Amino acid sequence: MDFIDVMANARYELIGEILGKSIERVSKPKSFSDLVDVVVLDKYLGIPIFLTLMWAAFQFAFSVSAPFSDAIDIFFTSAADWAKANIPNEVLASLIGDGVFGGLGFVLVFLPPIAFVFIALAILEDTGYLPRAAFVMDRAMTKVGLHGKSFIPMLLGFGCNVPAIMACRTMENEVDRKITIMVNPLMSCSARLPVYLLFAGAFFAGYEGTVIISMYLLGIILAAIMAKVIRKFFFGGEPSPLLMEMPDYSMPTVKSVLTSAWIRTQIFLKKAATILFIGAVIVWFLSVFPWDATNGGEVLENSYAALIGRAVEPIIAPLGFDWKAGVALFTGFMAKELVVGTLGILYGVESEEAIIDAIAHDFNPITALALMTITLIYLPCLATFGVLKRELGEWKLVGLIIAYELLLAYIVAAIIVGIGCFIEVM
Amino acid sequence: MMKLSELKQGERGTVVDIKGSSEMKRKLLNMGIVKGAEIKMVRNAPLKDPIEFEIRGYHISLRKNEAENIIVEVRK
Amino acid sequence: MRKVVALAGNPNVGKSVIFNALTGARQKVGNWPGVTVEKKEGICKYKDIEFYIVDLPGIYGFTANSIDEKIARDYILHEKPDVVVNIVDASNIERNLYLTMQLIEMEANVVVALNKMDLAKLKGYKIDVRKLSKELGLSVIPMIAVKNEGIEELKVAIYYATKHRVKPFLRYNDGVERIISAVQEKVIEHNILSNYPPRFVAIKLLEGDEEILKMANFNEEVIKQWIS
Repeated sequence: MDFIDVMANARYELIGEILGKSIERVSKPKSFSDLVDVVVLDKYLGIPIFLTLMWAAFQFAFSVSAPFSDAIDIFFTSAADWAKANIPNEVLASLIGDGVFGGLGFVLVFLPPIAFVFIALAILEDTGYLPRAAFVMDRAMTKVGLHGKSFIPMLLGFGCNVPAIMACRTMENEVDRKITIMVNPLMSCSARLPVYLLFAGAFFAGYEGTVIISMYLLGIILAAIMAKVIRKFFFGGEPSPLLMEMPDYSMPTVKSVLTSAWIRTQIFLKKAATILFIGAVIVWFLSVFPWDATNGGEVLENSYAALIGRAVEPIIAPLGFDWKAGVALFTGFMAKELVVGTLGILYGVESEEAIIDAIAHDFNPITALALMTITLIYLPCLATFGVLKRELGEWKLVGLIIAYELLLAYIVAAIIVGIGCFIEVM
Repeated sequence: MMKLSELKQGERGTVVDIKGSSEMKRKLLNMGIVKGAEIKMVRNAPLKDPIEFEIRGYHISLRKNEAENIIVEVRK
Repeated sequence: MRKVVALAGNPNVGKSVIFNALTGARQKVGNWPGVTVEKKEGICKYKDIEFYIVDLPGIYGFTANSIDEKIARDYILHEKPDVVVNIVDASNIERNLYLTMQLIEMEANVVVALNKMDLAKLKGYKIDVRKLSKELGLSVIPMIAVKNEGIEELKVAIYYATKHRVKPFLRYNDGVERIISAVQEKVIEHNILSNYPPRFVAIKLLEGDEEILKMANFNEEVIKQWIS
C-alpha cells in the first residue's frame, strides 16, 4: 500500500475517533435534497426538466429585460436626434448625436438582458442546481470534447458570447473552462441573426428557416471539432475527470443573488461595455471622415472605412466579395449588429427590402452563404475580446482564437464557394 | 469484488483498491474515497453516464471510466 | 494593527457568505497573480485590530493537484497568515475535517467556523461543539452564516487567535506515527526545507508530494531507505 493511502486512512481514522466522541445521530435524517433529486434526476424526467429550466431562465432573462432595453433605446435615440437638431456645428452634432449618444445607446441596450442573465445564473448557482445540470448533460458534452458544466455557458452563447464566457467561471476545472471559452464564439450569438435573416431572405426565399438553422448547426459542429482539436494539441489531450460533488439544495437569498449578479454586471460594464462604446465611436469616426468627402457620412464610399474595405478587398476577392463586404465585415468586428446597418449605408438605402434589392446585385446564393459563414466564424466581436483576456489570462490563448477563427472562416467559406462553383459547372 | 461502476442502484460496497494514475488517486483520496470507505450507488444519469454515489454522508458523481478504477467489495 | 486572516474550506461550505459578512462593502475582487482564479480580499475591523481577510479558493485537499489547491497551499505556507479560519460544513463534517487535519499538519493557526449547524440538525446530527473543540485542540465556533448567526462570535475567536497562537498536536495511529517520526528526525537532522514545519515536510515526503520532493531535492528511493 502506498504511503499516501496509509496517510489518508490515518486521517479518516482519527476523524472517526474525534467524531465518535463529539457527534451523535439523534433522529432520522430528513433529506429534502434527496427527495427533490428523485424527480429532478429521474431517468425520464431529468432531461425534460433540465430543458424546461433552461427555457425558463432564458425567457426570464430576455422577456423581463425587454421593456428596459426598449426604454434605453428610445431615450438615447431621442437624445441623438435632439443633439443633431440642436447643435449648430455639423461635425460636433454628428459626434455627440451619432457618436456619443448613438454609441452609448447601442451599448447600454445590452445591459438589461445581460444583467438578468446573470441574475438567472446566480439563482441556478445558489440553489445548487448547476451540478445537477452538469450531471444530466455530461455524457453528451464529453462526446464533443467538453464538460457537463460547459452546457449552460455554451447555451448562453446563443444569446450573447460575453455573459456566456463569463458564465464559464462556474467551471472549476481550468482546462475545461479554457476550452469552453475558446470555442464559445462559434455559438452563433443573437447579433449575427440579422445578417442571416437578410441574406437568407434575399437569396433563399422560402427556405430561410432551413438555411438559418444550418448556420446554427454549423457553429455547433465546428465548436465540437475545435474543442477536440484544441484539447489534443494545446492541453495534452486527456479529458479532465468529473469527480463532482452534488451539494444539498439550498434557498438562495435575494442579497447573495443580487450581489453575485452585480459583480458580474460590473465586469461587463468595465470590460465589454467600455470597449464597445469606444468601438462604436471609432466606427462613427471612420464612417464620417473625411467630412467633406463623405458629406457628413452620407457618401460612405469616400470614408476611411471604405479605405479599409478596399485594403482587405484583395484577400476576400477570391471568395467573390468586394470592398463593401470588407467594410461590413470590419464594422462587424466592432459589433456583429453593425453589419446590416453598414451595408444599408453603403448601398445608400434604409429599409430591409431596399437592402435586399441592393445586395442582390453584388452577391449570389453562394457568396451569400459564404458571407453568412464568415460572419459566424471569423472573429469574436470587440466586446468579447474585452472579456476574453480577463477570463483566459494569457494573450497566447486569445491569439490562438483569432488565428483559428480567421483561418477556419476563410477555409470554410472557400469550401462553400468551391462547392458552389462546382455545382454551377455541373 | 467488483468495479464501482458495476454496483447496482442502492447497492453498498466497501472500497478495497484504487487503480489508475497517482494524480487521480490523490483527487479521490481528498474526496474521501479511500480503502475501507463505504460507498453507495445512488443513480445513473439519464444518459447512463455519469453515476451518482453517496459516501461519508455526501453525494458525488463520477464518470463510468473513473468509477471503473475503484474496486469494491459488496456488502450483503 | 493589521493581521492577515485567510479563509479556507471545501467548496459549498458558505465561505462567500462568511467573507461577505465579515468584510461587508470593504472588499475587492481580482485574480490571483498569473492565473484566472478569483481572489477576494477585504477588511474587517475589530477592537484595536484590522483583519485583512483573504478568501482562498474552495479546495478538497492541499495536494497541489490543481491550481486552486496550489494557490491555497502556497498562500498558507509562504504568506503565513496570522490566522486561518477553516470553514467546516457541519452537515458534511467527516469529509470537511480532512482539510482540517491537513491544516493542523501545516501548523497553521486555525479557528474552526462550524457552519450550517441548522442543516446538520436537519440531517439528524447533534454536535457537542465543546467536545469537538477539545478533541481538535482548536476553537470551534458554531454558525449559521446565512442567518448571520455566529459572525460576532467568530470575530471574537479570530481576535483571540491573533493574540494566542495555537499549536495542536494530533496523533495518528502508532504505526503511522513511527514512520513519520523516523522521517521527521532526518528532516531536522539534514535541515531540509527549514522554513516549513518539519512534521509537514516529513508527511509530504512520505506521500511522494512532487513539489516538496523537488524542492528538497530528494527522490522516493531515499525516503524509502530511511523508513527501513
